[in-house]
Amino acid sequence: MSLNNLILLTGRTINQGVALEGGKTTKENVRAAAICTFDKEDFKKLDCLVGTPVKVITDYGEVMVYSTISEEGPHKGIIFIPLGPWANQVVNPDTQSCGTPTYKGMKAKVEVVKNGNVLDALDLIKTLKVA
Amino acid sequence: MVERKLRTISDVICPFCGTLCDDLEVDVDIKEETIVEIRNGCQIGTKKFFSSNPSGHRYTKPRIKENDSFKEVSWDEAFDKAAEILISAKRPLLYGFSSTECEAQSKGVELAELLGGILDNTASVCHGPSLLAIQDVGAPMATLGDFKNRADLVIFWGSNPVHAHPRHLGRYSEFVRGYFRKDGRNDRFIVVVDPRNTHTAQIADLFIQIKPSEDYELLNAIRAMVRGVELDEKEISGVPMEKIKELVNILKTCNFGVIFFGMGLTQSLAHHRNIDAAISLVRELNDHTKFLLMPMRGHYNVTGANIVFAWNTGYAYSIDFSKGYPRYNPGEFSSVDLLMRDEIDASLIVASDPASNFPAASVKNLFKHPLISIEPHETPTSANADINFPAAIAGIECEGTAYRMDSVPIRLRKVKDAPGKCLSDKEILEKLIEKIKEKKGE
Amino acid sequence: MTEIKLKLKKLPKFPLEAESITPDNFAGKTLDAIKKLPLYHGNENTVIGDYFSVSGKSGNVNNTKIVIDGDLSNVKRIGEQMSGGEIIINGNVGMHVGNNMSGGKILVNGNADDWAGAMLQGGELEIIGDAGHYVGAAYRGNWQGMKNGVIKVKGKVGNESMLWARSSKPANRWPMLYCGSAGPFLGTHNHGGTIVVEGDCDRCAGADQARGIIVIKGKVSRKLPSFKRIGEVKEIDLPNGEKITGKFIEYSGDHSVSKESTGKLYIAA
Repeated sequence: MSLNNLILLTGRTINQGVALEGGKTTKENVRAAAICTFDKEDFKKLDCLVGTPVKVITDYGEVMVYSTISEEGPHKGIIFIPLGPWANQVVNPDTQSCGTPTYKGMKAKVEVVKNGNVLDALDLIKTLKVA
Repeated sequence: MVERKLRTISDVICPFCGTLCDDLEVDVDIKEETIVEIRNGCQIGTKKFFSSNPSGHRYTKPRIKENDSFKEVSWDEAFDKAAEILISAKRPLLYGFSSTECEAQSKGVELAELLGGILDNTASVCHGPSLLAIQDVGAPMATLGDFKNRADLVIFWGSNPVHAHPRHLGRYSEFVRGYFRKDGRNDRFIVVVDPRNTHTAQIADLFIQIKPSEDYELLNAIRAMVRGVELDEKEISGVPMEKIKELVNILKTCNFGVIFFGMGLTQSLAHHRNIDAAISLVRELNDHTKFLLMPMRGHYNVTGANIVFAWNTGYAYSIDFSKGYPRYNPGEFSSVDLLMRDEIDASLIVASDPASNFPAASVKNLFKHPLISIEPHETPTSANADINFPAAIAGIECEGTAYRMDSVPIRLRKVKDAPGKCLSDKEILEKLIEKIKEKKGE
Repeated sequence: MTEIKLKLKKLPKFPLEAESITPDNFAGKTLDAIKKLPLYHGNENTVIGDYFSVSGKSGNVNNTKIVIDGDLSNVKRIGEQMSGGEIIINGNVGMHVGNNMSGGKILVNGNADDWAGAMLQGGELEIIGDAGHYVGAAYRGNWQGMKNGVIKVKGKVGNESMLWARSSKPANRWPMLYCGSAGPFLGTHNHGGTIVVEGDCDRCAGADQARGIIVIKGKVSRKLPSFKRIGEVKEIDLPNGEKITGKFIEYSGDHSVSKESTGKLYIAA
């Protein structure tokens, strides 16, 4: 199951804020920030249970996160990942020479990966360290 | 149960978000020197206080990475190694500073000048575009008390304070009773413009659901309509014309309006041009009524970082000292652009976590070069650093000054001692400067 | 014309700040003196001789032609504040090429990075390839950007080109930009600049334009709502006397700046 032509937004959520202050390397942070929230109708099309891992793919990368239904809907066609290491794997680093990367509004597609492995913050960031 | 002896500190300032709430009460266990209870704080602020207690992810001693594992060392050894890395670097980056107090930020400027490096703070990835727009067209602002006492129209544009600034609504903008707004929420009309029906939007009087990344067109249309221009469009940015007309009417007929704007404008395409349009709209609305705006700053002292950098160097962020004098150009000297072009050869990160918060491609380049972190907790940045300096948490374990989002300076309080051998950010930077001067023979 | 040839000997690790490479600085100097002019590399001071081999001979400013070979994509500020003479760059060039120049000519046989021809006061900058963002733009916080001169870009220009351009009728100064295609926010805050786009243009062309002319011979991805359609025209007169013929729709604006705007936007019909 997959969805194309979505738009990815990122931003603060209170759970993510609490989790990062409580410890960026904790499991709580994974539960709070390694999630992708969908519009209710969009989620039905994915045909999976809440919490099933999904792979979010943009032009700038891909990341495995848990899926869930948005409390801040309806927002058809829009998916949301709280700010943090997971979101930053797929955001647009281009700043158009103004200094600030484009963290919001990337074109994205999503694939359900039933046995997908969602990495925790340290393991995820470690993948960026080239030996 | 053993009776605990507690020390209660009142009027504590919360060092989490730019709202800088100043009414917290903290109970500290006298014997253990740990925080036991916090009253009045929001969820996030409360958690920040609790996380200052010793835990598995709190650093207490300086560490150096050797063969992929950390070794605890003396302060002297850590300073020595850090000074060597920074002196031999031709283009060191000093980044962070927004979650520490102003005295430490000032030391950061001194160090950057000494090294001929690049100095940047986290505004570079959040409200930097707001600063750019303000430099282009100015900004009509006021302090938060003005909004609390006078505003009868409050607009949140691309901002979700329920999640990001939890007590903002209760203290300054929505529910609070003000001098001229005695009935609190009932005396205010709340508008939210956002692509998602956020929790802030769910308690608003008018919610305008806009297409992502098309804010500029809507602001542009509203500006023209405020000037009385008839537009020949049916909908703009996904918002039907009738709804925009309704909004324009609300804007023009309020007594005192304010736009609070957030990352929704600065981090989507068009960045500072969005803010430019919002500021211009506010300027034009002052032909009809009183209108102001305010950026919703994230880190509690990012405003302070901008102000301290500006009074030291003339510029608020993205400053290059490589020629010995400060030069400023976001896009050229801003951290993410520098990293994307792989233009640095060492970095010092103060009270920040760019490994989590920068786009992945730029983090890859950050990790290519020696990385020194001054940070109280284990984060993806500090875990991948070559040298860790354990810092006391400003506002909890040491005093200092911080600027609220409306540029009001507030003195932070110390509520407890830092665990282990932690020093404050300011002391660490001071000693590092001393060491570098000594090594350079100055 | 006397010619000086520079050839890049080694690629710099960090950007090389080369504002010393201008006809003004080279004029009347011996090759040895030119080799000793400063270049900044990160926070270390180097000289032209460290990175370039220098040959040829210099004359007075207007008679000096500098030819530079090599991959200069990490060399910034070539031709900064030059007032005469000529620079020919055979290859890509880094940021700020020809910024603040007031006379003379720069030809880039390749691509240019951001801020090419920023705050141009006069002279001509020609780029055969693409240019980066902020071509002919005002630097941060300046509300008077490009005041005179011509920039020609064969390829694409990036975001916010010709930001805060400003013409002057009494002084007969008409800043001009010709480009193949353009990114978003072309001619933002335009105060009299003239822009001709041969191809397509991204969103928000002419945002906050107070006066000036923008001609787009291709398509526009999203026109701003505050531009009002006036009608169709077959001929457009540019302030420098040039005429453009074709079928265009004429819009006035940006009306978000004033109700009676004299700014013009022409888009191919």
